[in-house]
Amino acid sequence: MSAPIELTEAWRLRNATATALALSEQQMRHAVSGASVEQLVALIEAFVPTRSTGPDWTRSFEPLVERLWAWCDDATMAALAETFRARGMPWMAVANALSPEHGARLRAELRQPSWARFPAFAMA
Amino acid sequence: MISAQGTATVERLRDEIREVRYREATTTFCRLVTEEDRPLRATIRDAISAAAPYVQVPSHMMRLPSGEMRGVNYDHTILGWRGAIALMGELGGARGVLPNVQAMWYVPQGLNVWEQVVCEFPGHYARDGEQCNRKFPGPDEHVNRFDGPAWNVPKIYFQDHDPIEGGSVEDRLARMNWAIAEGDKAEAYGLFLGLAKQPEYRERLKDAILFAGIIDLQDTIINRGGYQNIGHKALRARALVDIADYLGWDDAHELMYTVVPDLGCSPHLHGLWNEISNICRIELPDQAAIPKRSDQPLTEPELDALTEALLWGGPFDVNAAVVALFRRGAGILDIGDAVMVCFQRYLIDVLEHPNAFLHPTHALDYMNVVQSWTRRHDNPHQVKGVFLGARFMNDTIRSNASFPRDPNFALEPRQAYHGWADDIAVDRLLPVLKRYVLAQDAPRSCALVDSYLERTPERHDLLDTITYAACHWQNDPHVMRNCASSLEEFRHNRTSRRDDIIRGFVKHQSRYVKRAPTHDCYQLYVQHFQPAEAA
Repeated sequence: MSAPIELTEAWRLRNATATALALSEQQMRHAVSGASVEQLVALIEAFVPTRSTGPDWTRSFEPLVERLWAWCDDATMAALAETFRARGMPWMAVANALSPEHGARLRAELRQPSWARFPAFAMA
Repeated sequence: MISAQGTATVERLRDEIREVRYREATTTFCRLVTEEDRPLRATIRDAISAAAPYVQVPSHMMRLPSGEMRGVNYDHTILGWRGAIALMGELGGARGVLPNVQAMWYVPQGLNVWEQVVCEFPGHYARDGEQCNRKFPGPDEHVNRFDGPAWNVPKIYFQDHDPIEGGSVEDRLARMNWAIAEGDKAEAYGLFLGLAKQPEYRERLKDAILFAGIIDLQDTIINRGGYQNIGHKALRARALVDIADYLGWDDAHELMYTVVPDLGCSPHLHGLWNEISNICRIELPDQAAIPKRSDQPLTEPELDALTEALLWGGPFDVNAAVVALFRRGAGILDIGDAVMVCFQRYLIDVLEHPNAFLHPTHALDYMNVVQSWTRRHDNPHQVKGVFLGARFMNDTIRSNASFPRDPNFALEPRQAYHGWADDIAVDRLLPVLKRYVLAQDAPRSCALVDSYLERTPERHDLLDTITYAACHWQNDPHVMRNCASSLEEFRHNRTSRRDDIIRGFVKHQSRYVKRAPTHDCYQLYVQHFQPAEAA
C-alpha cells in the first residue's frame, strides 16, 4: 500500500521548511558570530516588555539564548552576563540565562547525534 | 503560643481588628467560638462588620504629584471569607474551621489599603508589597512597624447609607446598574440596600450584581501598570452573593457595605465588554437562544484547538475559536467547561516561576464566577461571559510571556518522579502528598497526583488533602479563593479532561509564592480547635 498523497506532500513541505530554516540558522550564526557585545546587548534589550513587539517575540528569547551559547565565545558571554547583572533585579531573569552555569547546562543539552546538521535548538 | 487574658468578647474582637492586632484578633475569634460558644456564623459576621467601614478606597487609581497614576489594590478581606465559607463544607468538621481562622488572620492586615500603599497604615500591603519599613523605619530596626499595631485610627472613605426604595424593580435594577457603571457609589449602594430588603427581588438582584461585576474587566494587563482590576469586581460580587446566602440576607448589611460601594469605584473598565458585545451581535445574532448545555460537547480535537488558541494564540485567535464553537452548536457551559480544562495545561505544563501564578489564577477565579453565574441564573448575556473569561486567561498568559523566562526557576519535570510515586501504595499516598505540598515541592506533588489519578477513581479525599495542606499557609486569601474555585469547577465540569483541574490545582498550591514562611495561624487553629490529625 502506498502512502496517501497528502502524507507525501506534507513531508515534502516539511523538508522544504527545514531547508529554509537551516538557511536562516546559518545566516543567524554568521550575524551572531560577527556581532559586537554592544550589538548583542541591544538585541537582548529588545526582549523587555516595554520594547518587545509582543509575547511571541519575547517567547523567542530562550531560542536566542540557546544560539548565543552555541555560537558566542565565553568572553562575549561573560561580558553580556556582566552587563545585565549590573542592572539589578528587573534584569535578573536575563542575567541568569547568561550565567555560566546555565550555559554549561544548555551546551550539554544541545548536543545532537552525529547525523544532525545543527544543535538541538528549540524551534519556538 | 499567644497568651490570651480576660474574657473574649465581640467588642474586644472589633478593637483588635481596628488596631491591626491580627494575632490577638485571631485568638479572640477562636476563643469566642471555643470558649464562649458563639456560633461561627455569628462570629464571622462580627468580623466582617468590624472591618466594613475601613475597606473602601476613594479610587483604585491614585494620581501621583507627578501626574502619573498608580493602582490601589482591592479589598481582599471579603474574598478570604468567601473562600473559607465555601471550604467549610468541603473539609468538614474542625478541619473546615481552618480556612475561616486563616480568613480572620488576614482581616486586620487588609484594612485601609489606600493608606497602606502610601505607608501611613500597617498591614499586608505596607509590610510586604510596599516594603514600607525600609522607607520609614521605626526606632527599633528589628521591629517592622508595618506589621501592626496601628498608630492611628483607620480612615473611612465611604459612610454607610440608607436604602433607596420606591419604583418598579426593573427601574431600580436598571438605575443600580447605571450607577455602578457611572461610579455613583451612593446611588448604587442605596438602591442595592432597598432591593435587598425584599426577599422576592433577591434572585434578580443577585443576577444583576454579578452581571455588573463580570462586565467590568480590563481588555489587557500588558504594560498597563495598575490600570486593571484583574477580575476583582466580579470576585467581589460573587463574594457578596455567597456570603449573604450563608449569613442570611437580613443579617448581611455590613457585608453589603463592604462590597457594593466598591463595585462603583473607579476605574470602570468596559472596553472588553463592548468588544465582545459587538462580536456577538454580528457573529451570534441569536445568542440569547443558545442553550446552557447541548448534546454536542467538545470533541478531543476541539479541546486541543481551544488549548492552542488559549495558550499560544492572541486575542483574535481566542475570539475566533469561541465563536466557531458556538456557531457549530455547543452550549454555554460546554464551552465554559472546556475553557476551564484547556487553561489548566498552562498551569500544568508551562508555569514555573512562583510569582507568575498570580494573574493567571485570578483569571481562573474570574472564570469560576462566570461559570457559577451561568449555572445559577438565567441572563441573555451569559454567552459573552465565556468570551470574557477566555480572553482574560489568554491575556494573563501573554502577559507572563512578555517577560523573559528565568532559568533559575525552572522546574524538574513531574514525569521524573512518576516511578517514585507509583511505588507508593495508593492507600498511603495522600499523607505523602500532604507532606510534599507543605514542602512546596511541585514536581513530586504533581507526580503523586498523576499517579493517584491513574490508579484510583477516588477524588474526594485527594481534593481534601490538597485543600487542607494549602490552607496551612497564612496571610493570603487567594489560597482559599482558588481552592474554592478549583473544587467547584471540578465538581461541575463535564469534559473528558476534568482531572486536569486537579493537576493544575496541585501545581498551583505547591508552587505559588507564599507570603509567609511560617504556620503561626495554623498553630493557633490547632491550639483552639484540636483537629484529629494534630492529636
